[in-house]
Amino acid sequence: MNNNWMKRQRLLGYVFIGPSMLGVLLFFLIPAAYSFYLMFTNYKFMNPTVRFVGFDNITRLLHDPMFYLSLRKTMLFLMAVPVSIAFGFVTAVILNQRLYLKKLLRGLYFMPYITSGVAVAFVWMLMFQPRQGPINGLLRSIGIDNPPGWLSTTTTSMYAIDIIWVWFLLGYNMIIYLAALQEVSTELLEAAKIDGAKRGQVLRKIIWPLVSPTTFLLLITGLIMTIKSFGIIQAMTQGGPGNSTTILSLYVYQNAFRYYEMGYASTISWALFLIILVITVLQWIGQKKWVHY
Amino acid sequence: MKKKSWIAGMTTLVLAMGVMAGCSGNGNNVKSSSSAGGSDAGASPSASTPVKSGDTIKLKMWGGVPPEAGPQTVIDAWNKDHSDIQIEYVRYVNDDEGNLKLDTAMMTGQDVDLYVNYTMSHASKRVESGFAVDLSQFSDYNIDEKMGADAASWKINDKYYGMPTTKSAFFVALNKDALDAASLPVPKEWTWDELREYAKKLKSGDDYGFIQNTEPYVDPLDSVLSQQGYTKADGTSNLDDPGVKKWLETLNAMMTVDKTTPPLGEQLTSKMPVEQMFLSGEAPMLNIGAWLLRSSNNFTDYPRDFKIAFAPVPRLTDNAADYVTRGGLGDYTSINAKSKNQQAAWEFLKWYADGGMAPMAAGGRIPASKDADEEAALESLLGDKGDTYDRDSLMYVMFDNKTPTFVRSVPQEVVDLRSQEYEKYFLGAQSLDQTLAAMTSRHNEFLKKK
Amino acid sequence: MEMKRRLSTDVPMRLVGTIVMLALAIVMIMPFLWMISTSLKTPAEVFQYPIKWFPSNPTWEHHIKVWSGSKSFGTYYLNSLKISIIGMLGATFLSAFAAYGFARIEFKGRGALFMVYLSMMMIPPQVLFVPKFIMFEWAGIYNTHLALILPGLFTIFGVFMLRQFFMTIPNEISESAFIDGAGHFRIFFRLILPLAKPALATLAIIDFSWQWNDYENALVFLIDESLYTVPLGLQNFILENMIDYNGMMAAASAGILPMIVVFVLGQRFIIQGLTNSAVKG
Repeated sequence: MNNNWMKRQRLLGYVFIGPSMLGVLLFFLIPAAYSFYLMFTNYKFMNPTVRFVGFDNITRLLHDPMFYLSLRKTMLFLMAVPVSIAFGFVTAVILNQRLYLKKLLRGLYFMPYITSGVAVAFVWMLMFQPRQGPINGLLRSIGIDNPPGWLSTTTTSMYAIDIIWVWFLLGYNMIIYLAALQEVSTELLEAAKIDGAKRGQVLRKIIWPLVSPTTFLLLITGLIMTIKSFGIIQAMTQGGPGNSTTILSLYVYQNAFRYYEMGYASTISWALFLIILVITVLQWIGQKKWVHY
Repeated sequence: MKKKSWIAGMTTLVLAMGVMAGCSGNGNNVKSSSSAGGSDAGASPSASTPVKSGDTIKLKMWGGVPPEAGPQTVIDAWNKDHSDIQIEYVRYVNDDEGNLKLDTAMMTGQDVDLYVNYTMSHASKRVESGFAVDLSQFSDYNIDEKMGADAASWKINDKYYGMPTTKSAFFVALNKDALDAASLPVPKEWTWDELREYAKKLKSGDDYGFIQNTEPYVDPLDSVLSQQGYTKADGTSNLDDPGVKKWLETLNAMMTVDKTTPPLGEQLTSKMPVEQMFLSGEAPMLNIGAWLLRSSNNFTDYPRDFKIAFAPVPRLTDNAADYVTRGGLGDYTSINAKSKNQQAAWEFLKWYADGGMAPMAAGGRIPASKDADEEAALESLLGDKGDTYDRDSLMYVMFDNKTPTFVRSVPQEVVDLRSQEYEKYFLGAQSLDQTLAAMTSRHNEFLKKK
Repeated sequence: MEMKRRLSTDVPMRLVGTIVMLALAIVMIMPFLWMISTSLKTPAEVFQYPIKWFPSNPTWEHHIKVWSGSKSFGTYYLNSLKISIIGMLGATFLSAFAAYGFARIEFKGRGALFMVYLSMMMIPPQVLFVPKFIMFEWAGIYNTHLALILPGLFTIFGVFMLRQFFMTIPNEISESAFIDGAGHFRIFFRLILPLAKPALATLAIIDFSWQWNDYENALVFLIDESLYTVPLGLQNFILENMIDYNGMMAAASAGILPMIVVFVLGQRFIIQGLTNSAVKG
């Protein structure tokens, strides 16, 4: 095989990623660059007056108590991701086994991901209703006299959102795990069984490492998706009560689309970007320890 | 297919580069001209509307009312009689995203000729950005004279950049039968303390004596502050005005001590359908506005066996003389400064305000113009359910109450920071003093930024 | 003997497992059930407490309203189908293409480029609206379906996801093909794509549901009602001071159907993939 051919083949890499790269350039990089520029202006949406304000927005951000508050709320929100991944993994493993109605079950578990957001918000509001809701009804019936106020108090609202988010992401985590599990060869599993490995051991020692690239994917994309999502919170609490569920992305949204403060919204976004970047890089470095390709 | 989108993509890329360059340049250019406060960019309207005979002018009006709730009837009536000017109604949902959509459409030069603003906050943003015509350019209609003294609250920089078209009535709707049973009169003016007593007397069992729609929730605050000023003489926040404290205390006592009104947490999390609760007789007093009539006329969905009476919104102060109430006028309709047919839009707007809008009354939108037929509007408002209302008190809150009015004009940011803090208070997450301190300090931050 | 014992423990296990999973599934589909039941209720029943799962007098009037009259959902539906199907197919294919490049070809700057890629996924979409909309207006695709379709062809998530999957496919497979003189194109189309069917189907399902449910882009970039998609159409049920939950849920439950169809079709590929990977061993 000649070297030239090899080289050309390697250059094909650019051809493969080219089309997609162009899209990313157009619909992400260029707009992102523009929003980076906005960070240094006082641009208010619609208003033609744009003034360069230097680092004003950044100073303002660093002194904005709402920024730190929503940052804390965001961190609380992110807790839902690993929990949901764990549940998703278990569900996928179970639904990958010999069960009746397997196809139907997979469909049902994916439902939250495609159900209308309004319905989701409405039903969970009713479920969490502190006085008459079924969740607190259940808690009372098992002897908890003072069940939490869930979405109606500033201290518990974020946890209620976390529960909903675990539920919501479960189907997504499950179907990606299911796809990954199809790659785990059945022979390998049979062999392990013949060797007398226990179910739990097979799961931990064989399946879990084999799907680790998927777990890594889910962790990164889950965190990124979650950190950017606010739709469900907007539909349920609009960041309240008080400002107890105002996560950063919602704060960006409010500044951009409610107050039209595009300059400041861009600034918060870039802060958010930095945070996600740090989390992702840390995971990327950490992956060598546990992800097996 | 794939190949085609490539070409499109490439073109977009090249163009996009141009935009980036063009856009930042643009921003610098306009700087000087718009500091004057707005919309003079709209050029003179007379010059821009060459009405040639035989040409049909097509106008688009953007409004937040669903077409079937009145606007379509209004537009159809106009279009039938005016073959030269045809109106199309575009509905936008009056929330953050809906307003964004309207603003985006105007920015991109889509056909928006007329549009309705529902808050001062939105209206002033549009005026600042140069999307509203100063209506004083048209000399054939005197807004002050037609709409009365209340119209002045809608002046921006002392000018009308839109026409307030409706009377917006806010009131406390009362279950007359329940009041009669408790032998309580229908008040013509009252304080929150008095309302609190009413609520206690009317409360039965676990039900509530008084409920509120979330929209007029904070009106008492704005009533006080529009009188006392949102800022003190030295320019700092006045959100610690005694009136604010009084409001917080009163409502909180009603929630936690009297238990006559739902705790905020419960109201927010159960999506409490307050109109339905009132109309089914579950709660005897409801703080709401004229839009209640749409539901209360609908006996199919909301069967009802009692008469509704109306009282003005109570005041926080003892002295009736310095009370202002929310209301006055609404549906501030502007003409887009970028519209090519401003004269035609103006013709329509005059017709609309002077009674063309009457079919909207069924949804609680009473025309504000003195030329509009009050009686007809009232008929349309009450429909065939007239005898299920206490006519006298209705007339009083709608037309005869001469208490001066205000229009909420505080920026959205302040509305939000206020509600975030008082919610914490009502939920017991912070004390009264902490709440007042937090409100003022956040408001001060906001003021500093301006 | 061995066989028999397995069977006897297996059947009850399967049964118990199925029942438990079905019971838990109820929690998953609760909002969906609520949608359906609300679409058959009267307005007053919507807010009744405790939740009324079975309307006392089911009515189809809301469903009929959704599909008739001047604001029929038919147009919205077709628009959504067009945008979502083109987007889904395009995005899945383009992602696979790029993912192959990132996962299986060693070229210069690969790592850096991938990082740029990933980082673009982290930008909150709200701030991209303004520049995107200036760009679309300039290009003349504002207020056309292209404003949704073109960006919809690209999904960074898809590239990342498929990259992860392609990386788990053993290298020996392509190496032997390489030695046989096959180029990357042939390896991609003949070897990798068939092997990755489950992942491709999964991506297609997820991407379709994203495109189908996309509300914000459609809201900002489309103005003419004839171009509206289903999520935009749902806004018609937001009345002035209240929401017509019955009508909205009637429309929304019909809006779920295409996603279910895509899911069921996609599942087939996932099952097919099973046999493929068994061959691979």
